[in-house]
Amino acid sequence: MTGEPPVLVAEGLRVVRDGRTVVAADRLELRRGEVHVLLGRNGAGKSTLLRALDGLEPAAGRLVFEGREVRSAADRRALRRRTAAVFQRPYLLDASVVDNVATGLRLRGVARREARRRAAAALDRLGVAHLAGRRATRLSGGEAQRVSLARALAVEPAVLFLDEPLASLDPPARRGLLEDLRDVLGDAGAAVLWVTHDRDEALAVADTVSFLDGGAVSQTGPALEVFTHPRTTALAEFLGLDAYLEGVVEEAPDGQTLLRLPGGPVLLCGEAPPGPAVACLPPEDVVLLAAPPPAHGASLRNVVWGKVKAVGAVGRLLRVVVAVDGLEVSALVTPAAYEDLGLAVGRRVAAAFKASAVHPIPRPGGRRP
Amino acid sequence: MGEVWQGVTDAVRLLLAGDREVVEVTLRSLWVSGLALALALALGVPLGGLLAALEFPGRRLAVAAVNTGMAAPPVVVGLLVVLALTRNGPLGGLRLLFTGQAMVVAQTLIALPVVTGLVLAALQQVDPGLRQQLAALGAGRLQTLLLLLREVRVALLAAVMAAFGAVISEVGAVMMVGGNIRGQTQVLTTAIVQETRSGRYAAAIALAVVLMALAFAANLALTVLQQRGRRRTG
Repeated sequence: MTGEPPVLVAEGLRVVRDGRTVVAADRLELRRGEVHVLLGRNGAGKSTLLRALDGLEPAAGRLVFEGREVRSAADRRALRRRTAAVFQRPYLLDASVVDNVATGLRLRGVARREARRRAAAALDRLGVAHLAGRRATRLSGGEAQRVSLARALAVEPAVLFLDEPLASLDPPARRGLLEDLRDVLGDAGAAVLWVTHDRDEALAVADTVSFLDGGAVSQTGPALEVFTHPRTTALAEFLGLDAYLEGVVEEAPDGQTLLRLPGGPVLLCGEAPPGPAVACLPPEDVVLLAAPPPAHGASLRNVVWGKVKAVGAVGRLLRVVVAVDGLEVSALVTPAAYEDLGLAVGRRVAAAFKASAVHPIPRPGGRRP
Repeated sequence: MGEVWQGVTDAVRLLLAGDREVVEVTLRSLWVSGLALALALALGVPLGGLLAALEFPGRRLAVAAVNTGMAAPPVVVGLLVVLALTRNGPLGGLRLLFTGQAMVVAQTLIALPVVTGLVLAALQQVDPGLRQQLAALGAGRLQTLLLLLREVRVALLAAVMAAFGAVISEVGAVMMVGGNIRGQTQVLTTAIVQETRSGRYAAAIALAVVLMALAFAANLALTVLQQRGRRRTG
């Protein structure tokens, strides 16, 4: 990223509906050429925040677009005239495809002929130039969504808002459009705000991810960092990191960070401030061993012994739950590895994992989150 | 029975000959109802658009008033217009009672709620998501309304036809405010009343055939348009 100022900045943005605060975003920045994914469960306030950012809904707080504060209804309209949005459904007009794509341009005062020319170019970028003369109400779901995206890109928006753009498509159409969109968005150079509840979709497209929980942004950062180092249990749960270890983070004299668990074991863990914490341990980071690890496995600093408590299938892998001194550690293993280790429910086994696989999430006040 | 048969054959003769009086009454009917329809559209389309787009206190009341107006008996509308235009009425100074203008006013008032109500209903059928999509594309209120009206154009044409059907076949209001003066304010419906009362069945039947043809044409156009609309959305 360059040192360019963000295109759109929201500070303390709040949307209150019927006396209930549905969105309260402390700070959010959208930058040119960056795909910012707003991730969260259904009902987390993602779409409401998107509408507030696009000036579709009035909100309290500060919204600054291209250096100027958006205050009045007229400011919000001016903002909408420099941005574009695509929603879950394509919302095309009962007209030809090319006229649909030209709509945004026509609304912004571009002459008909020029608008059609640019509309045709936008359709081409999304690989649907051949649909130009078709009636928009006669398209398949995937085609219609591509037309809707072409309509948004045709206006060359400063910010492109995408609200679950792939959610209503069937899997093949979704995959195809996802791949094309990555290229198209890269070329467009707009700041992109992409709302989704789909983790895979987020990971595939995001430069930056903001996790929205109960209307508030609980974590923002580079996509990979947010995905591997969740700072809240809500995000950890959302990411499927649901094996919790409750304990207290301590700093060892040698500078290493320790997680002391109530049952007695002390684990080396990733960096975290001292105090009560809940740690998540992704099952794919846990290795099961029948014997103590060999010396070259030195990075697997944590080794705990326990008994296999349960086995379940996760896709083509097996999820093995190991009970260790009253707590549980899960591991993903291949069926072949399961057989090689001679595993069965009740069998003794060692679970080994790196210190960095344990992500402690501070628990303010020590209460259960 | 012989009298009726005689009436029918005479009526055919009148129509085929292009009887001056029949033509004149027909043209007056088309002129009065056509102008009333145009005025009702000019007022009712924006009014329906406003009612569909705006949230304001008393909106429900306004919608209820429109719906009531759609079912208002023309005679009552006629009475209100007479009361307004009568010599001592609030608009008596305009001296419009028993003129073509008065008939246009009365029929406009009959057609207005029909147009407003049908436009409102059509716009309310539009997915709120489409409204939001247009706003996100940068459309202002007026641009949004125009695009949505284009989107519901079939329903809009239905409103036009329904309103035309209501005023062209209406008799009570034009009779009261126009006075049914031969050669001046007599229209198809009121002429049929008068010819029938006077026992001139041939003329009454001829006029009735013309009126039926007009009403039928309006309804046929409406049906065709609705079928086309259904095919498109289907």
